Amino acid sequence: LIEPALGRLLRSWRHRVAVSGQSMAPGLLPGDWLLVDPDGYARRPPGPGDVVVTPDPRSPDRWLIKRVTRIEPDGRLELAGDAPDRSTDSRVFGPVEPTALGRPWFRYWPPPRWGRVR
Amino acid sequence: MPLQTHRGSRRPPRDARTEPKEEPVFDRLLAALAPRRVVHAHCDLPCGIYDPEQARIEAESCYKILEKYEDNSDQHFRTRAIAIKEERAELTKHHIDVMWHDYFKPEHVEKFPDLHDVCWQASKQASKVKQSLDIAEAKKLLELIDRIDEMWKATGGPEKTRKAAAVAA
Repeated sequence: LIEPALGRLLRSWRHRVAVSGQSMAPGLLPGDWLLVDPDGYARRPPGPGDVVVTPDPRSPDRWLIKRVTRIEPDGRLELAGDAPDRSTDSRVFGPVEPTALGRPWFRYWPPPRWGRVR
Repeated sequence: MPLQTHRGSRRPPRDARTEPKEEPVFDRLLAALAPRRVVHAHCDLPCGIYDPEQARIEAESCYKILEKYEDNSDQHFRTRAIAIKEERAELTKHHIDVMWHDYFKPEHVEKFPDLHDVCWQASKQASKVKQSLDIAEAKKLLELIDRIDEMWKATGGPEKTRKAAAVAA
């Protein structure tokens, strides 16, 4: 029981990220530091409501953090920000391939906002 | 955009007068905790507002300028008309490109297989209007922009990429 949890923690620690931008407000704010499990969706693919980290389809070196709103019949994901009027998402770039997804699951900074990502 | 961490970085030798103070422990701890990457939860500007009308207005200016050019033999007026038409044609091309690059998505191309061709022709036509004094070229540009407008409307553009005007109560 301990070992998988430790593995996930180490994997995620190597993939810690900082949030930039307002599109996931109020759940995720600019300056939040998150742990992202790169294998978090390997066994169970994300469903509507899950938060994902994924390469920007328009510029893959850049990573986006968005929420899945719908699974297309072909398996691609429709993404949206929690604050739609401050978000660039699938309304602009269309659905994204369900590959190279990370699962942001824990906010470790700032201390008052410490806790699970929902 | 990887974040810099301070770990392992050694300060280069400095002039004694500008030697900075020792980093506080807290800063060093934070630096060690700092993430390695940024994930973007952004809105790109422009904020998803698109309307081919913007291109059309500039193209209409070109059309009207050419009409006036024909009716006026004053050399000064004609010179100004040409300069302004070139500027407007360049703006038309820019607005067509914004529709093409930023508004249209792969699904739209599936729906309108000639989408790329129409946008390409329209951009090229804007260049032609920039060079030419033939009003027929300006008319052709308007027609091509109208075809972009049809595709924008058929893909839900007016509802999705414009904000409703405030209605006076």
